[in-house]
Amino acid sequence: MSRFFRAAGDSDSDSSSSEEEELMSSDDEGPKQAAPAAKPVMSRFLKSGGDSDSSDESSDDEEEMSDDDEQEAKPKQGGRFLHGASSGEESDEDVKRVVKSAKDKRLDDMEATGKAMDNALKINDWVAISTEFDKLVRMAQRQQNVAEPVPPFYLRTLIDLEKSLNAAVAKDKESKKKMNASNARALTAVKQKVKKVAKEFESELKRYQEDPEAFERDFQATFVPEVAAPAKTKKAKKGDEDEEDEDFTTVGKGGKAIQFTPESIFKNLQVVQEARGKKNTDRAEQIRILEKLLEVAVTPYQKIRVLLALIASRFDYNSSVATHMPPELWLSAQKEVDQLIAIVAEEPAYSIQEITEDYDELVERSPETEKDGIVRIRGSVISFVDRLDDEFTKSLQNIDPHGTEYVDRLKDEKVLYSTICRAQALYEKNKQEEPLGRVVMRRLEHIYSKPDPVVVALEATVASGDLKPSVILSSDDQTSSLIHSLCVHLYKSGNSLLRTRAMLCHIYHYALHNDFHTARDMLLMSHLQESIHNADVATQILYNRTVVQLGLSAFRCGLIKEAQATLQDIFATQRVKELLAQGVHQQRYNQVLSPEQEKAERQRQLPFHMHINTELLEAAFLVSSMLVEIPLLASIDSEDQKRKVISKPFRRLLDFADRQVFTGPPESTRDHIMQASKALQNGEWEKCRDLIQSIKIWSLMPECAAVKEMLAKRIQEEGLRTYLFTYAPHYRTLSLSLLAKTFSISLRSVTSLVSKMIWTEELAAALDQSAGVVVFNRVELTRTQQLAQTLADKVNAMVEQSEKSLDQRLGVSNTWNDRPDGGKGDKRGEQTQERNRRGDRRGGARGGARGGRGARFAQGLGSQMAGNTQRNR
Amino acid sequence: MAEYDLTKTIIPHCDRHLVFPLLAHLAESELFPVEQVQAAQYELAKETNMVDYAVSLFEQLHPDEEVPPEFAAKRENAVSTNERLQQEAQAVLDVIEKPEVAQALRQDKNQNLQFLKDHYNVTLDQITALYNFGKFQYSYGNYSGAADYLYHFRVLSTDPDLTISAHWGKLACDILTGKWDVALEELNSLREAIDARAPSMPQFGAASSSTADPALAQLHSRTWLLHWSLFVYFNHPQGRTLLLETFLSPTYLNTIQTSSPWILRYLAAAAVLSRKSASGALSSRVRHSIREIVKVIQMEEYQYQDPVTQFLKELYVEFDFEAAQKELGKAETIVANDFFLGEFREEFMDNARYLISEAYCRIHQRIDIADLSERLNLSRDEGEKWIVNLIRETRMGADAKIDLEKNVIEIHRPPLPIYQTVIEKTRGLAFRTQALGAAMSRTQGAPEAAPAVVEAQ
Repeated sequence: MSRFFRAAGDSDSDSSSSEEEELMSSDDEGPKQAAPAAKPVMSRFLKSGGDSDSSDESSDDEEEMSDDDEQEAKPKQGGRFLHGASSGEESDEDVKRVVKSAKDKRLDDMEATGKAMDNALKINDWVAISTEFDKLVRMAQRQQNVAEPVPPFYLRTLIDLEKSLNAAVAKDKESKKKMNASNARALTAVKQKVKKVAKEFESELKRYQEDPEAFERDFQATFVPEVAAPAKTKKAKKGDEDEEDEDFTTVGKGGKAIQFTPESIFKNLQVVQEARGKKNTDRAEQIRILEKLLEVAVTPYQKIRVLLALIASRFDYNSSVATHMPPELWLSAQKEVDQLIAIVAEEPAYSIQEITEDYDELVERSPETEKDGIVRIRGSVISFVDRLDDEFTKSLQNIDPHGTEYVDRLKDEKVLYSTICRAQALYEKNKQEEPLGRVVMRRLEHIYSKPDPVVVALEATVASGDLKPSVILSSDDQTSSLIHSLCVHLYKSGNSLLRTRAMLCHIYHYALHNDFHTARDMLLMSHLQESIHNADVATQILYNRTVVQLGLSAFRCGLIKEAQATLQDIFATQRVKELLAQGVHQQRYNQVLSPEQEKAERQRQLPFHMHINTELLEAAFLVSSMLVEIPLLASIDSEDQKRKVISKPFRRLLDFADRQVFTGPPESTRDHIMQASKALQNGEWEKCRDLIQSIKIWSLMPECAAVKEMLAKRIQEEGLRTYLFTYAPHYRTLSLSLLAKTFSISLRSVTSLVSKMIWTEELAAALDQSAGVVVFNRVELTRTQQLAQTLADKVNAMVEQSEKSLDQRLGVSNTWNDRPDGGKGDKRGEQTQERNRRGDRRGGARGGARGGRGARFAQGLGSQMAGNTQRNR
Repeated sequence: MAEYDLTKTIIPHCDRHLVFPLLAHLAESELFPVEQVQAAQYELAKETNMVDYAVSLFEQLHPDEEVPPEFAAKRENAVSTNERLQQEAQAVLDVIEKPEVAQALRQDKNQNLQFLKDHYNVTLDQITALYNFGKFQYSYGNYSGAADYLYHFRVLSTDPDLTISAHWGKLACDILTGKWDVALEELNSLREAIDARAPSMPQFGAASSSTADPALAQLHSRTWLLHWSLFVYFNHPQGRTLLLETFLSPTYLNTIQTSSPWILRYLAAAAVLSRKSASGALSSRVRHSIREIVKVIQMEEYQYQDPVTQFLKELYVEFDFEAAQKELGKAETIVANDFFLGEFREEFMDNARYLISEAYCRIHQRIDIADLSERLNLSRDEGEKWIVNLIRETRMGADAKIDLEKNVIEIHRPPLPIYQTVIEKTRGLAFRTQALGAAMSRTQGAPEAAPAVVEAQ
């Protein structure tokens, strides 16, 4: 058994000597028989996993998973497994050198398998037979691949099997119940397979059946002339193992030697590539081999090939989805991508393409050998860059954002960014539009949300590099011009997803730089709010981020109403963190997420440095809500008007604060704002201002001093308004200068504020210019009058409602109240108006400030954009 | 005041020939050095076929220099081209001017073409000659002649692009010859043509052909139309109200906001100017134009502002009468210097004063006459006269009384009785409900498929 265990240990290496194999295969029978019987299903699965030559990543992952799952099972089956795997490699690698032994071995293998089948046949275990037969067929297939004739043994087994099959089927018919389900299934499977194979080898079978001996003789004849060789090879191989030649470096525990010379690069590469994705492949080992290969590679073609393989295997290193790539590995991968790009950029005669014509992997190629002077190599730089970027994000997601490790990792963004830029330069040179778009998007995503100094620093590394993209930030430029040109590039590209994302990034950037008007206009013109629900999750997150940033920029600019209306939406959901992908979903209402959903959600999370501070966001929202809501609250005098609420979340908090019996000194941001609101309600604007200004989180806001000042001014104004609303019933006249003094506002602005209130009929009053007072002429309503008014309002609302629903029903906007000239409108007019109103409705939902504006962009440029978005769908 | 001059912004949106009057106005107003304006005029004329005019400008500009010889050649060339084109066009014109032909022509253009071809052997190429000749005439300044030819061409031609082009040409001719009624008609038909044009283009096919995007082209032509229409609207007697009607329609308001915010000045001015005529059967849009315009001005403040718009903003957003008065003072010179608004200075000031006093009176209960006069940029005596007139003219008379002893106006506006507000609120309801009912019965009468079709849109 010790030998067996050793073999299992060896299975890590991708090499094995034929000698061992021989012994092994004869040894095999014992465990093999036991294993399939014990775990038939699993063994089948494992086997197919182990033998598949697929190299694409998805199956790779799958395998990895099964590998992990069945780790314990492996020792038991190791022998058999190794057997399959190693024979797979054996047949393909270095054909010349080991051809003899391989042939021998294969024959032996076949016989062993045949024996196993016989055994299984005896106990009527069709499951085992099925697996063994599969193996046999594959071996025969391989035999054919190396252009050897079909061994007579194989044919004999086939015929035997067919016979026993028929017998079994016949027997089965009589006693169907005795056979269990899986066995029966296997039986039919084998039957079909045999039929298929028999067809394949029809001619050989015929020949064999006619004259088995002659066939065997023929076979031997092809075999004999080479029979002398194996002994030598074996010896030579042994020699390799013992004495290390200069040309040979022993790698791998199995004792398999790999020759690292420029000539054999392709062979080695192929070996590695075939092992890629297989179970039990030592990935670290592979990387080491490839690194060595890279050292010896001479021609650009060789280098490119090796690099492609090396980078791919680096990314393979830990394929498990959850964990991230170790930074060291990532860094070397990044360097290699750089190197690859540099080579391709330097040698215009070489080009890496995802789709190429088939070429022989083992032959050195150069521009001279190609028809049009360009060597096309299969591979994809953009996917490497994508992967590099994704891995970077993944690692940031996994590292604790408060540790130094995170900061260290963040520093790598610089090199990543420069790699992306180099890739961009490469694609610009090659004029490959599609990957260029993707790479520009990557670049944009790295800089759109960053403050100027960071962007400048990132750009500095690019500018110092040798390979520069067409657009870089020169020292005196604004970052917005850089963003602008990147975005314009993406707008022009045909990809609608990239266009949408670029647009959002662009808007975000404008919002970040306090250019609220431009950002708002762009957002409205893009008509994204209509189609964003159909977008993918990542884009929706970006959209949310953009809207939130827009709200913050409105706040910074002092546009309180706009800020409130913009932020309203996202706060109404109470899932701010989730919507911004800055925290996972809180489980509520007995909603249970499946592990997959949870995982997907965790993958969507933004790395910490991209976060928009939610506390700051909340402070901005609540403060603007306060400034909008408190005067409104004060202006309401009857109970039934109380339902008029602008900001529900704020109202809720305020009600909650009202109910509190005892209020301590404010601690959290919310406490501050709630107490400030109360102070504002009572006309104590100074206290309100102090409370608001003492909120610590403001320090995170750029230009916080200016913002505080702006807030103080707003508080004064809204304080005055609130005061007037609240105390108007108690005064007959009120001196303007007193008001000015109380609220420390200039007399002129007091006058203008009061005038505005009178003009908009918020305040039933008039100014007496000569006396400098406000004269209130308030009319107390009787109960009946009040009710009559309410009734009128309600009837009005009802008519409006029915009009709206009829509108919706009819779809056409032949409105009868305020659009007298809409009647003559042609079809287009109606359509646009319809679109208009849709915009209005949405705008209404999002807060009044935007509705009209949204409507106006429905035409003009807007319709063009609408066309685009509709096309996008 | 030069910084508020819009000529430079407007010129790119006008035809070469339309710019001449603008420049001529600039030369008169002396905002810019005369030489510069003359140089500009010369540059402008050089490229046209108005050779003599260009030569005279050149001589004005460079009195001591020889006239460049290429003008002579150009003149020669122009004359010969003129003759050639005229001959070509004459053939068609002869046919069309026969009374029996004029009678035989119908609405259907294709039929007309067939008719002309069958009976008089007039082909499409010959008709295009009309267009060419008209265009050429326009280029050397014979606008009325050009208008005739382009008119005939438009009646006959079926080519949509050339027809539109002829439309524009005809409009320019009418503007330049000063036939405002005709121009207005032309303007309206052109507007319809532009509005009707876009949907015929494929909106969803051929996604990437952004260069010839129909929506963009439409926006472009609308912008041009806005600028050209200024010529008509500020010269036609009914123009200002029509301007409000057009510019405040959603499509054109959008165009203004998106591509040419400076038009807001004219919009604002027109709103102020049409205050008095804002009675009678006008659409609600015009009646409430000021309110709407103020909204737009506020929205576009970051893009465009000048004293005229600022005046409205100070008055109706900030209610800062002092600032409004200051802006009005600035606006006066601007209006006086503006090519389009120059004629209306007095009227503008009158109306603006009225607006100020109206707002002032609505907010105040007791007003010092001296103070109000100051607000209105008037002397004390003038102010008093003005206020008395104001009170006499408007329905304010009942509420306002002048107390000469204290020199104040007392305004007692009794609050609106509650029942009246309720009536006011419910006034439209019956009508609206009727309309609802009518709409419902109409759809029931219509085939059932109608709603489905609409939804499919």
